[in-house]
Amino acid sequence: MSLFTRTTRELTVRIDEFFDTIEIGILIFKEGVKAYVRGDHNTFGSHLEKIDDLEGKADKLQRAIENDMIVHSILPHQRSEIVKLLWQMDEIIDTAKGSLNEFYIEIPRIPSLLTEDFISLAEVSANAAEELMPAARSFFREPHLVREKLIKVYFFERETDKAAFQLKKKVFHEMNDLSLAEKAHIRYITHHIENISDSAQDAADLLASMAIRQML
Amino acid sequence: MIFLFLTSGLFLGWTLGANDAANIFGSAVGSRLVSFTRAAIIASVFVILGAVLQGDGASETLGRLGSVNAMGGAFTVALAAGLTVYFMTRAGLPVSTTQAIVGAIIGWDFFTNNAVDTKALTQIVTTWVTGPLLGAIFAFGLYHLVKITRKRIRIHLVRYEAYLRGGLLIAGAFGAYSLGANNIANVMGVFVPSVPLEETGFGLCTLTGAQQLFFLGGLAIAAGVATYSRKVMQTVGANLLELSSEAAFVVVMSQALVLFIFSSSALSGLMVRAGLPPIPLVPVSSTQVVVGSVIGIGLYKGIRNINLKLLGSIASGWITTPVAAGLLTFFLLFFVKNLFGIDVGHSVNPPAAGIGEPSTALIIKYAIVILLVLISAYLVWLVLADKRKSDRINRKFYD
Repeated sequence: MSLFTRTTRELTVRIDEFFDTIEIGILIFKEGVKAYVRGDHNTFGSHLEKIDDLEGKADKLQRAIENDMIVHSILPHQRSEIVKLLWQMDEIIDTAKGSLNEFYIEIPRIPSLLTEDFISLAEVSANAAEELMPAARSFFREPHLVREKLIKVYFFERETDKAAFQLKKKVFHEMNDLSLAEKAHIRYITHHIENISDSAQDAADLLASMAIRQML
Repeated sequence: MIFLFLTSGLFLGWTLGANDAANIFGSAVGSRLVSFTRAAIIASVFVILGAVLQGDGASETLGRLGSVNAMGGAFTVALAAGLTVYFMTRAGLPVSTTQAIVGAIIGWDFFTNNAVDTKALTQIVTTWVTGPLLGAIFAFGLYHLVKITRKRIRIHLVRYEAYLRGGLLIAGAFGAYSLGANNIANVMGVFVPSVPLEETGFGLCTLTGAQQLFFLGGLAIAAGVATYSRKVMQTVGANLLELSSEAAFVVVMSQALVLFIFSSSALSGLMVRAGLPPIPLVPVSSTQVVVGSVIGIGLYKGIRNINLKLLGSIASGWITTPVAAGLLTFFLLFFVKNLFGIDVGHSVNPPAAGIGEPSTALIIKYAIVILLVLISAYLVWLVLADKRKSDRINRKFYD
């Protein structure tokens, strides 16, 4: 019984740690984009390293949680959905890391006119992912509160779409001094930042259905 | 010779263990919340304890219905009940050992020209209806309580499930104890009046003749649990009755409570002391109580989750099983007595020729019909109310 209690405690801690890791990863992503578009390459480099570590840690935690749940037959009815949710949330930090890596490898030229647009796009997209975290934590403690917490995720996802649309429109309609290749490159980077809120929305959809089943 | 006559009862005990242990640990084992070995050990130990310590109450009521006064008769009654359960299960018909044994005893009463104790019969038949009904009420209340508690305490899902797992083991032990206490009457009840076992001391404790029989019956049930219930548990848990951990806990707890209530002499005595009518100590079908409990949870979640066919099958089993078992018993007793020359019992209480008896029987008959009509009417009302509700919702969205 003591072994059982220990496993339960360890698993609870691991799940919380996984959410913490994703949450910090999102913050680092936001700061990384800000540092890059403002030309602060040293800070950007340090954020890139941090997000790389965090992504690795999230992967390890995800595997450990999955392993614990299978080996100790914990939550057999919800296991597959919880594993899917963790995978979906891991996808967020993967996308964030991939996005910063693209900045590092492809070194896109972001005109100063777009600095604030990029920062607000990264913020609003990261906000969607950030708002997912309290909802995901709620699923494990107060499933009846999940749906109301998810409203903000959907809101920020729509705001991200709007911000990305405005940014792309500005690039293609107003910035005639940029070459088509540069415009296409900016569109590509924008699309990747948008993906974070899309991943958050996918996780939110899954979480909503899981919460309903918990409530029955 | 005694053991030869007891074989039919032991077989009945074995089938009970093989099938009814799944009602207690089926969901937990099927979903791998509890290992089969752990479930089988707990079920076996507590079934025997319940049978020996608390088995006499329900057995006494069955004895009042018909005190089978020859071992040959007891053997045939238990065999007929066992065969009825076997053939009806094979035919895919709803069946319960409890109802089969009651029908078989009435068959013996008719064959040996003994009067059927209509008061005992009324008590028994009433519990067939109230058992599942109480199961539903307990399950509804307990499920509500579990949900409210979960909401209030804000416990982590993983820890909550760990507590539920522990709760399932405790509820399972209680369920097994109650199953042994209540259903041992089906297995060994008919042998009590005819098998002459003396009170025997076993060092630390002394067992009466009836308790020794119940111990043997308990062992037979435990053998059924150990040898054949794994498959049934896995089928019940994984396919037929897939329940969440909370629902599984509630179902087992409700079933245990109902079986305990209908087998506890102490509780019945407490009611009498409080100036209330005594609780009838009657064997109840654990499967039907489980179905009642699942329906109780279904009602909590909303009418759409109720399988009305299941309710219909329970109600039909109340009539078909005892009738089939009674007819088979009458038929078998005729052969056992006339073909093998074995004493199957004699009349000690012939039916009185008067108008009192038939009128009581008629009351029971009409009471059952009225109950069935009321239940059907209630279900129709529920379905119609649900239809009205869904029509209203549809209008709201599509008009």
